[in-house]
Amino acid sequence: MIELREVTKVYKGQTVPAVDRLSLKIPEGETCVFVGPSGCGKSTTLRMINRMIEPTSGTILINNKDIRESDPDRLRMGIGYVIQQIGLLPHRTVAENIAIVPRLYGWPKEKIRKRVDELLELIGLDPETTRDKYPSQLSGGQMQRVGVARAMAVDPPIMLMDEPFGAVDPIARNYLQDEFLRLQREMRKTICFVTHDINEAIKMGDRIAIFNKGRLVQYGTPHEILTRPANEFVSDFIGYDRVVKKLGLYRVADLAGPAGCVAREGELPEIGRLMREKESDVAFLVDAHGRPCGFLTTEDIGGMGDEISPQSLMQKALGRRGAFAQREMVLRDALSLMLEYDTEYLGVLNGGDLAGVITLSAIRKHSCRKEGE
Amino acid sequence: MNYIRFIQDNIPLILEYTKAHFSLVLWAVLISLVLWVPVGVLITRSEKWANRVLGIANTIFCIPSLSLFAVMVTIPFLGLGRRSALVALVLYAMMPLVRNVYQGVKVVDKSVIEAARGMGMNYWRILWEIQLPLATPVIFAGFRITVVMTTGIAAIATYIGERNLGRLISEGLTRFNIEMIVDGALLIAFIAIALDTMLGALEKKIVPRGLRVHRGH
Repeated sequence: MIELREVTKVYKGQTVPAVDRLSLKIPEGETCVFVGPSGCGKSTTLRMINRMIEPTSGTILINNKDIRESDPDRLRMGIGYVIQQIGLLPHRTVAENIAIVPRLYGWPKEKIRKRVDELLELIGLDPETTRDKYPSQLSGGQMQRVGVARAMAVDPPIMLMDEPFGAVDPIARNYLQDEFLRLQREMRKTICFVTHDINEAIKMGDRIAIFNKGRLVQYGTPHEILTRPANEFVSDFIGYDRVVKKLGLYRVADLAGPAGCVAREGELPEIGRLMREKESDVAFLVDAHGRPCGFLTTEDIGGMGDEISPQSLMQKALGRRGAFAQREMVLRDALSLMLEYDTEYLGVLNGGDLAGVITLSAIRKHSCRKEGE
Repeated sequence: MNYIRFIQDNIPLILEYTKAHFSLVLWAVLISLVLWVPVGVLITRSEKWANRVLGIANTIFCIPSLSLFAVMVTIPFLGLGRRSALVALVLYAMMPLVRNVYQGVKVVDKSVIEAARGMGMNYWRILWEIQLPLATPVIFAGFRITVVMTTGIAAIATYIGERNLGRLISEGLTRFNIEMIVDGALLIAFIAIALDTMLGALEKKIVPRGLRVHRGH
């Protein structure tokens, strides 16, 4: 657990504190995201936790021990540290870079070698081909992953990450975020994560601390912050789309219902009857291999559905070939998909198989209900 | 052809001069390295001191070599001969060495240092394992300049009693012996070029591999 008590930092030659009487508790195993505009004190706060910056006043405790009691270098060896610029040593290979902290601890060579390979596997890089490369031979995304692996080398219980994915392109960033969330679900490390991107904060954080002008403006779960912004600054910072943002916290699987009616091409002429029998508003069309390839709604079949030719029904159904969402997809993306296909339904997939249906009204009810909490 | 004959006729003398020249250059460069590399590293810790020291180095560098040698001679402890020559050459080497070491260490990417510090590396480890290796190309450039420059200026020390290749030039001048002057100049130039080439080859071995490889290699 990390605890900050009335921490203040005034930089030399300045009168306005960079961080002003900040108190904050980060529970063990949680990711706490510091977010705010530039110059709000979030990076300063992060860097005070590993004594890269010494606070002017106040106390910082890690597991109830004042960090001033530890030697700064010893303290830092036990805390993973990732920065935006990564800072890989350009004259050392990937393996040597990852081995830095293990070497400081004096691990035997064999143990270091094993750990390096293990970490490279973990972050999705092939040890055989990557181990002996130099940083200049890697792509930006690969460098960032090596940076994360390096910080995790001795499996520290605490990680400090200062805009770790800020310098990579949006696609790589999204991928790195997902990968990191996957790792964190298993590792359960205590993480402080700095970003200026509220979307990243909502995605990565178990808790979010919103900073402004050196002060902590609001501290809570993403849900609390999106539902009850503490003041105008917070709601401005979140933006007008906070309801949509909140949909980014939930997944399709949370709201999916059973698929109801499933039909093959041959059954199209009787589709209206089938749907009425199953009391379903939507009928999924599956191909010869049982894979879903589209769907029809009661609107499409015009009440009875008997007067429309099977060919045009087929056309309509196949037009929605893309209107399917994986179970892990966040509701925000599912909503976007619905708007794109101009439909109130999406098929839910589990891998390649049909797993259910999600409706616009379910999403609407969900966001209304949460709003009223 | 007279030039070659002059060398053939005076081989023992030329060998003696060359030996003396080399030993002066060698000692001057060694002392300079031992003295100025640490100074260059030290001043990276304080901007104020860096400006002062580099200012002094620049000023010394601006003094004409003949007058610097002459001034050394007037200092009682130094007097005529090797001591004065060494002190003057070491002072000249201050500028290229201190400046290049300082800049080499200073231009190391800040984020690399920040990351290293954040992992718990102490000042000496960072200096020894990161800053100095990454500064080698710049430091080495300063070192090469120093060696070439010292070889040249060492010739002038002949006027304060050093018996080296500079003597061929100074004596050649008084006797107006063209072969002597030209041979002396060529020998010094040849030594300087040879040393620079050798150091160039050495540099390729010393610069860390990671600084030379790039994507796709």
